[in-house]
Amino acid sequence: MRAEILTSLRRVLRDHRRGFAIWAAALSAITFFYMSFWPTMGQAMVDAIEGMPQGLMAAMGYDRIGTAAGYLEAVVYGLLGPVLLLVHGIALGGRLIAGQEEDGTLELDFAAPVSRARLYWERLAAAWLLVTGLVAAITLAVLVSNPLFDLDVSPANVVAAGVGLWLLVGGFVTAAFAVGAATGRRGLAVGVVAGLAVITYVFRGVANAAGIEVYAALSPLSWFLRPDPLANGLDLASTLQLAAITLVAAPVGLWRFRRRDLMT
Amino acid sequence: MTTPVIRTRGLVKDYGRTRALAGLDLEVQAGEVYGFIGPNGAGKSTTIRILLDLLRPTAGEAEVLGQAPAAGGPALRARIGYLPGELAMPARVTAREQLAHLAALRGGRGSERVDALAERFTLDLDRPLRALSRGNKQKLGVIQAFMHEPELLILDEPTSGLDPLLQHEFLDLVRETSARGATVFMSSHVLREVESVADRVAVIREGRTVDVDSVRGLRARAGQRVSLTFAEAPDLAAFEALDAVRDVRLEGATLHCLLHGEPDALLKLAARSRVTHWAARDLDLEDLFMDVYRYGPDGVDGANGVRDAR
Repeated sequence: MRAEILTSLRRVLRDHRRGFAIWAAALSAITFFYMSFWPTMGQAMVDAIEGMPQGLMAAMGYDRIGTAAGYLEAVVYGLLGPVLLLVHGIALGGRLIAGQEEDGTLELDFAAPVSRARLYWERLAAAWLLVTGLVAAITLAVLVSNPLFDLDVSPANVVAAGVGLWLLVGGFVTAAFAVGAATGRRGLAVGVVAGLAVITYVFRGVANAAGIEVYAALSPLSWFLRPDPLANGLDLASTLQLAAITLVAAPVGLWRFRRRDLMT
Repeated sequence: MTTPVIRTRGLVKDYGRTRALAGLDLEVQAGEVYGFIGPNGAGKSTTIRILLDLLRPTAGEAEVLGQAPAAGGPALRARIGYLPGELAMPARVTAREQLAHLAALRGGRGSERVDALAERFTLDLDRPLRALSRGNKQKLGVIQAFMHEPELLILDEPTSGLDPLLQHEFLDLVRETSARGATVFMSSHVLREVESVADRVAVIREGRTVDVDSVRGLRARAGQRVSLTFAEAPDLAAFEALDAVRDVRLEGATLHCLLHGEPDALLKLAARSRVTHWAARDLDLEDLFMDVYRYGPDGVDGANGVRDAR
């Protein structure tokens, strides 16, 4: 008899339920907290950055911080959201196969009547559910505080930005998961993918400050924010670009995972 | 003859430049309790992990229940119970949750036997796994391996961490499992842990099978240490000339030797003089294995006796 369906997925959710609750609560609280600054800080921001070098402000994504959509983008979608989610998500992705393989807690799962492919997809799906929940927590915090603090950003556009953030973070989580599954080395997976995430930030900064388009083309963070989802809504090309990270990384990771030695 | 439950031929496994298995041959028949003995690092766990398709062999063949582990896949693993040598458990869940998870991975099989086995091994199912001692974790490992009543049990160092009472209980469980027709393949670095239940034993060293025999056969080959005290010091050369006797020493009027096979010739020679005291003791099988470990297959070449290899 084969494994009951979703056993591995449920197990990941069980293992992470407490961590998830804490992260979801913290992310909503932080988001709400920063949103609450807008009414008092909005004009002050504009004044504050007036004397600052234009290039630096553009690199930080603060050049439009005087508008509600610009403030939301600079603070939540360009900085806090991706940084916190990527830090947590990349660690999670590296842990779900490679980390637990290294500490031995997956050995009995590997030896059970479940195929490596099933184990891989179920654990990856669980990672996506956790990411979905955390992005939803941020999105809800924005939607709730939006009218409270007079930001006047269209809720549809908030959801569109949420979709972009979801695909961006999910892509990096999948990459960390896939590298971990392909190599069995958690440190390697987290290191490589965290490095790519840092490069993504640097490239976006360089692209914005110096206007060098090739850097924007290479930075998933630019793919997400360039079309300005908070002002323009969902952009199809950008959405597909972000989804491509996952669609490429996931099968490659599985291909290698099915062929290699486990627990060495 | 029926298909062996486990069969390997010329099994080789390299980790980078390190050769863990160097052409291992094994044949375990259905219904056997089979001991797999070797020092740490001899390749026991590597072999076991190949049988479970955790590792893929570099060369050679492995078959479990008639199928290559990779080809058999999940359907083959459903017929095996596995106890890892180093059991790591997730910290936050309880033993009950962990066993329910493992049962679900096996299509729900075994969950109905959890309570009875937990009672038998006195394991508290409702404590989180991080609070369990090494012995209690090992109990959990034993329960999960046996609970779905698999056809084949592959147990890597199963008794490590269990106290003597539970070791006894565990060996009873192995006997019951064997009685219902299942095959048990268990590794150990000490023969003592398997000799009371194993039908046959394979000894491996540096990735090769160096010896396969029944426990009784091994014991016979290990021989006896014999001491004979005479009224007057005997002629050493006459005793040294005997075929079945090795390692002859004289200590005053007491002759010490190692006997393999029948004692007849030794006794008849000794009886020509007056014997005032005698003692014979079965050689500990551990001594035999220490020699196999140290000197390899030649050290147990039956006809020559163990000690000659020195």
